[in-house]
Parts: sequence; C-alpha cells; structure tokens
Amino acid sequence: MPNFALSIRKSLTVDTDSTVVAESETANAAQAGNGDSDSGVVIETRNLSKIYRDFWGRKKVNALKSLDIEVRKGEVFGLLGPNGSGKSTTIKLILGLLFPSSGRVLVFDKDASETSKNERIGYLPEESYLYKFLTAEETLDFYGRLFDMSGAARKQRVSELIELVGLQGAKHRQLREYSKGMTRRVGLAQALINDPDLVLLDEPTTGLDPIGSREMKDLILSLKKQGKTVLLCSHQLADVQDVCDRVAILDQGELKELGRVADLLKVQDVTEIHTQRLRPEVEAEIKAIIEREGGTCTIDNPTATMEDLFLNIVRESEARPGARRVSGTGTPQEAAKEDQKTEESQGEAGQ
Amino acid sequence: MILQPEDFWSFYEWLMRPESFLESAFLQGIVLFVLAIVIGLMVGYIISANRYGPGEGFYAVARAVRDLIRFDLPGTSAHRVFALAKLAFKEAIRRRVLFVVFLFVGLLLLAGWYLNPESSDPARLYISFVLTATNYLILALALFISAFSLPNDIKSRTIYTIVTKPVRATEIVLGRMLGFMAVGTVMLVPMGMFSYLFVSRGLNHQHSEVVDVVEEADGTLVGETDFVQDHKHSFTLYSDIDAEGNALGTYSGLTDVVRGHRHIVRRDADGNFEILSPEPLRARIPSYGEIQFYDRGGNNKDAGVDIGAERLDAGGYGSAGISRVIGLSRGSRKIQHGYVEGGTLGKAEFTFQNVTPERYPNGLQLDLSLRAYRSYKGDIESGIRGSVTMKHPTKDIESNPKTFVINEYEVDELNLETDVQGTDNNKTRDLNVFEDLVDENGQLLVIIKCLDRSQYLGVTQSGVYLRAGDNPFWWNLTKAYVSIWLQMAMVIAFGVMFSTFLSGPVAMVATFACVLLGFSAEQVYDTRHFIDSGIERGGGPIESMVRLLRQDAMTTQLDVDTTAAKVIKTTDAGIVYSLDAIATALPNLPKMVGTAEYAASGFDIFGALLLRHAAATLGYCLLAFIISYFFLKSREIAA
Repeated sequence: MPNFALSIRKSLTVDTDSTVVAESETANAAQAGNGDSDSGVVIETRNLSKIYRDFWGRKKVNALKSLDIEVRKGEVFGLLGPNGSGKSTTIKLILGLLFPSSGRVLVFDKDASETSKNERIGYLPEESYLYKFLTAEETLDFYGRLFDMSGAARKQRVSELIELVGLQGAKHRQLREYSKGMTRRVGLAQALINDPDLVLLDEPTTGLDPIGSREMKDLILSLKKQGKTVLLCSHQLADVQDVCDRVAILDQGELKELGRVADLLKVQDVTEIHTQRLRPEVEAEIKAIIEREGGTCTIDNPTATMEDLFLNIVRESEARPGARRVSGTGTPQEAAKEDQKTEESQGEAGQ
Repeated sequence: MILQPEDFWSFYEWLMRPESFLESAFLQGIVLFVLAIVIGLMVGYIISANRYGPGEGFYAVARAVRDLIRFDLPGTSAHRVFALAKLAFKEAIRRRVLFVVFLFVGLLLLAGWYLNPESSDPARLYISFVLTATNYLILALALFISAFSLPNDIKSRTIYTIVTKPVRATEIVLGRMLGFMAVGTVMLVPMGMFSYLFVSRGLNHQHSEVVDVVEEADGTLVGETDFVQDHKHSFTLYSDIDAEGNALGTYSGLTDVVRGHRHIVRRDADGNFEILSPEPLRARIPSYGEIQFYDRGGNNKDAGVDIGAERLDAGGYGSAGISRVIGLSRGSRKIQHGYVEGGTLGKAEFTFQNVTPERYPNGLQLDLSLRAYRSYKGDIESGIRGSVTMKHPTKDIESNPKTFVINEYEVDELNLETDVQGTDNNKTRDLNVFEDLVDENGQLLVIIKCLDRSQYLGVTQSGVYLRAGDNPFWWNLTKAYVSIWLQMAMVIAFGVMFSTFLSGPVAMVATFACVLLGFSAEQVYDTRHFIDSGIERGGGPIESMVRLLRQDAMTTQLDVDTTAAKVIKTTDAGIVYSLDAIATALPNLPKMVGTAEYAASGFDIFGALLLRHAAATLGYCLLAFIISYFFLKSREIAA
C-alpha cells in the first residue's frame, strides 16, 4: 500500500473584522502571558494621522487616517499595501522621522519623539542609506559607537555581524564598490548592531536575489525565535505570507484589514486534500463521491513555487558544478503541447 | 597700520569696558543671546501654533526647551560626538579636500609670477600673501564643507540611519562642527609650515663679496656689498676691542636696512670679509604709551593739529557695541595722525609704563612710525627733523634732545642709551635713565618735537613705542594661523547652523552673506556715522543709486525736490540702521583678518587680541549650536 499522508485543513469561518480582532487578541493574550514587563505591547499607535502640507501649510496629501494598531512582543508584523498606501509613513512615524499630525505613537511605552527608545530599536531603511565612503567594518564600528558600546564589545559585535551577513571577504572595501545586495547586507548588519528588541524593516527583500531574499526571511524567523519583535512593510506578498504572524493591510492611508495571516488567507468554502500518489481509480471514486454530494472538484498536481525551484537548482549546481540537463526548452510551442497534455489528462480524469 | 583705540584694550577692558559698559563686548553678547532666545521662542511658537494649534503649540515649544535642558544637554555623550566628528572628518578627507593644500602649494610655487621681486619690503609682501591666500582658501573651504554636509545627508537619507540610533540633535550638530574644525586644523598645519618655509627661504639670500671698502679716518671700514636679488647694502665696520680696549685686528658691524633686512658683516685678522645671512624675521613686541598733545602755545590738547580733513574723512564709530546701535555713540572714534607744529612749544608726550632695567637690559629701543607734512617746500632733499627727549614724569629732569630725520613709511629704530647727558633743574649733569628719569612707578615720559619751523610731524599712539623685545617669527606666524583658525571655526558654526534648516546651496549663500556683511561692518558703521552727522558722503543705498543715475558727486547736496529727498533719506536711514543692527550682531571678521596685518608689519600679535577673538568665536559658536539644535530637533527629517 502506498503511504497515504492525508491532511485536510479546514478553517474557522471568518466573517467580520470584529471576530478577527477578538481572535487575534486571544491568540496574543497567550503570548503576553509569557511574563514580559512591557505588558506585551511594543508599538502602539493611537488614532495616528499624518497630513503632508506644503510650505504654506496647505494640505497636500492625507497620507494616514486614524491608524490604530498594536504590535506585540515576539511577533512578526507585516504592513501591506500598494505604493502610496501609507506603510512607509507609518514606519517613519514610529521612528520619529516624521511627526504625527494628530494621534500618538508609543514605542516601548515611550513617545516616538524620544531618542532613548532607539536604544532597543534596529531599523533597516528601504534602501540602504549608508555612507559610501566608509568600508563595511568602519560602517558597523561607527554605528556601534553611536550606541556607546565599549571598544572590545564593539569589535566583537562587528565581526559577528560581518560573519552573519557573509561579508568577511569584502569588509575592507568602501561601500561605493558594493553591489546592491551587499549594501543591503551591511544595512541589515547595522540594524542589528545593538542586538535590538524591535526590528523595523522597510521592504527588506527588495533588491535581493532569491537566495538573498530567502536568507532574509530565514533571518527574520530566527529573530522571531530569539523573542524579538519584527515590524516589516513590503509589497512582496509572498514574503509577507512566509514570515508574518499578523498583517495590517493599508490602502490610501486607511487600515483595510488586520489579522493573523493564517486566518486571513483561509478560503472558507473550499476544502483542500493533499495526498501522495493517488491511483486513477481512487481519484475517480473521490470525484464520484463529491459529485454525488452536489459539489464540484478539480484534481491536479500541485506546482512548487518558483522560489523552491530556483533554490533547488542553485543548491544542486553548487554541489555538482557543470552544465545541467534542461528539462524543457520553454518555447511557446512546447508550452502549448504541455497544456494540451494536461487538458487531455484532465478530460480523461473527468470521464 | 594705524591702531585704533580699541586695539589697545586689554581683554578685560574689551569684555567689560569699565567706564562705558554700554560698549562692552559682554553686554553685546548678552543682548545677542537674549534677543536670539526671545526671537527663537516667538518664531518657534508661531510655527508650532500653526502646526498644532495655539494651546498645543505652546506646550510643544515648552517641551523643546525642557528636552534641551533636561535630556539632550546632560545626555550628550562625548563618545557619540567623537564618532560623529570622526565621520565628518573622514567624509571630508575621503572627498579629497586635502587637495586644497596642494592648490596652496601650487600657488606658492607660482607666486613668483605675481609677487613683485623689487618690492621695498618683500617680507611684508610675502607674509601678507601667504596669510591672505590661506585665509581665503580656508574660509571658502569651511563654507563649502559645512553648508553642504548635513543637507546632503538629509537628501541622500543617510541621516535616517543616524537619527534612528540613540543620537541626540546636540550630538549631530556638535559632531559636525568639531569634525569640520578638525579638517580645517589638519589643513592649516601643513599650510602654515609651507608658508613658513616659503617666507623664510624666499627671503634668505647671501651676499658673498664686498666692494669699495675704504678705511675712514676714525678707523672704521666703510663699504658696500655685492648686488644680489636686486639690492645691495652699505656697511660700516668697527674695530673689535678686548676688555682693556686693545684692538684685536678684527672688525664687525651691520649693514644698513634695505628691503626690511640687514646683515652682520665681519672681517677677520687676515682681511677676509664674511657677510652673514639676513637677520631672521622678527615680531616686535611693542610697549605702547599714553599720548598727550600740546599746541604751539604749550597748552595740552586732546588731539594734534589736523592738517587736512583727516578727521572728517576718518568716519566710523568703530565697534562701539550696543551703544552705537541704540544711537548713544556720537562722533568719530577713528584715530588718524595728529600733527605737531615745528619750532614751537607744540609737542607730543608719551607716558610709558613699566620701564625697568630687567625689561630693557640693552637700553631703550624706541621705534617711530611718523608722518611729515610740509607747509612749504623747503629743502626737499633732506627730510624733516624731529627730536626725542626723555623726561621724568613729575620732576624737572630731562635728557638732552636726540635729533633724527623723519623717515616716512618705514619704522625708524632709535636706540636711547641708558647713560645720557641731561639737565636736572637747569643744571647739566650725567643721567642714568632708570635711576634719574623713571619714577618710582616705572613711568617715563618721552617727548617728540618737530624741529623745522612751520613744518609738521604726525604721530599716532601706535606710531611710537618702546620695544621690549622680539618674538621669533614662527611664533607670530602661528598666532596669525590661530586667528585664521578662529575665523574658520566661526564660518563652520554658521554654515552648520544654516544647513540645519536650509538646503545646501541656500545655506552656503546665507553663510556667505553673513561673512560678507561681517566684512563690510565697518563700512556700514561709517555710512551710519555720515547719516547721523549729516555729512554728505553719498548717503544710503537708494540715495547712492539716485546719485549714480544722475551722475552727481558724492559730497554735494542731493539735488531732488524736498519731499523726494525726505522719502529717500528716511528709507535709507531705515535700511542702514537695520544693516547696522545686523552687522553688529554678526562677528566682526575684518578685525580678525586684520591680525594678519600685524604679522605682515612685523608686530607681535598681542595675546589680548587673540583672546578677544577666541572669546567672540566661542560665543558665536555657542549661539549657532543652540540655534542649530532647535532647528534640527523641530525638523521632520523625513519630510
């Protein structure tokens, strides 16, 4: 008998926002119960609004409208939204780079305008805005000094971080000679220099190749494992899905959705069955059962993500360098043939 | 160089002005700080009331002030300031600002093209050239690096990674200022060394031969040197004698002063001449006295004879501090030469303090920079003669007059011997200067007269002084460089201040405008003086424009109808008074640039003068620091 690994996931029915909030609150109440002095809330925005004005004080854009979110200790929180939705504005307000037009931001129970909150914050800006005339080592040493770290501690931390982001070979080169990915790594290292409790990442995976972006996601997860809080904003939806516990979706400066990723993505009225090596007879039987129940059903081989494929190929080629046998030519004709094949097989299955 | 009364002030006199506190630098500083605070609070309130509403705006301002005093000043960490200063320093260095040093060296190498080798005083030319070149290069550089750095960081958003660290606004401002000052220092040191080499090597030369040596009847040798570097010297050598007065067969003496220098010449027993290198450059340390004029009848006067419209032209109130701005300081304060009429009882009497044998072990060296004014041509070949008499301040004891011929535009160096002939209550006897002529307080009177009838001799207080000693040239050059450093610090502080709220180019223009207005402060004071005193000197900006268009002379009555004239003059007065107030609030840079003039003229730069500049610089840097703090703190970095 083939080994059947059947997993059937069924979601709770989620209808209204209120239930989401209620539910996520209960989920986080459990986390907060882990005994943290910060009462579990790391970032809190209250009725936070931002209006950009021109030189004469005339209103230009209402970038953020009464945002209320709470980020709790230990979670990875994602801010999602199209360009101009207010995610960057929110992050800048949290960091004190912008001042709210009304409302408040509290970070570690301190006002965002207070400098002392920065002791526990690490921030990776959208693009790595670093001093191009410094080398990687000098950059990290400089940021270490800004935290008043002692010489020995700074030296150790810098070499740790350079190793973490894999720049040992390039640490004496000026950043102007770096590629975009390398600069990004230095940017990440500087955000972690103070071993922060809260890490804010503005578009962490943009500009990174798939390997880099995978590493970034792994790092975010490892930060989470260390009990750190991560707030990231992105429009790489796949990334957000991979790492975030909760997301807030913004559009035109307004909060449109807030909740646990797993819950939000659940499709309520569709059931998914994962099995391995299903014989055609069994397949037909299942279909028949479902049709008898009055439902419709499609049966297909799942596709892997492009990311998995890419990473597999790279890993394989690193293990066994040389030319790799290409599985298809990728021409449109061949694609058409492939499509036909699947249609046929589906047709057969349908009969 | 005519020193003005304010140049003689000691540091304390400058700071406090014991007799007229209104003119004191201290009061000026306090008023400036108070004004800055009041205006700052008002502007701050208006801006934040606009942003948050009247009530909340008040709290925002109060919070900003509280933050500075309670958190940001005490929380400022030397480590972070150092890190930021180091960053600013590295930035400048890696942007290759040291190129300016090479530019400077290049300028020195090509200096021969535009420095006149036939100048009568090459030392002055060389020194003022190197100092001026350094001064302007460094100020321009300070202007650029300070005005562009912070706006660049904001534009390129590198500032985001700084302000999201526990860095305070105080540290950012202080770090920049100190970092750029370090850059300037690193550049000034090699520039100073190259300048020293350029001046000392450039002036060094060797005369190798003597010509036309004749033995005079009194046993001295008179001759001339060879012609090197467009000049030659004549010399007189005296026979060297041992303690018993026997001739040793060797001769030694000095050449005359040509082009500001002279050589020591020796002749050994074999008849070989040796001409040493020119005497090293000196920085005279003057000991100035109080001056008192007497008119032709022997009555004391506040000033000497005015031989032309010198006093009228002098203009200007000088830096009279607050008292000028509020209109309490009247009349010209500028000093020009006062003249003494020849062949009469007219004289100029100087009272010198602290005349002791310890201070003047080799006799009194009296330096004279005088002017001559002829009311008739006379014998144009021979100069006008004057005399110097030393006198006891209270008793009727005086030395016999020593005569000299006035050498205009050069410093006459008179050696007053300590043992002289003189009169004691009309009895002739030998006098010792220190015992008989100096009183118990160390005071000595020196009286200068003009001997030619109806000719005039012009003196100023700074023109006649006792030379207590010389400082080495390198030390004086160092002091001149310190003065340049102070100006640079001031420009950097202003540049950083403006760059906290303006974009790079605008910050640079604003700083430049401040420097420019600071430089023309004296002209603004003068214009105000002429307007206040009703002297026609072209008037304010609008009046000048009208005169230019009408092609009218400066000194005529403004030729427009009464109403128009009234409007023009009132507007002008408003403009000039406001400019005056602003110029008074700004650092008086020309005074500081003027210290280079001391070094060029071979005068030691007084410690008090440097100390005054240093105090003023510190005050302005502090003010700029506080203003920068508030601007940076209240600025939305990401906006």
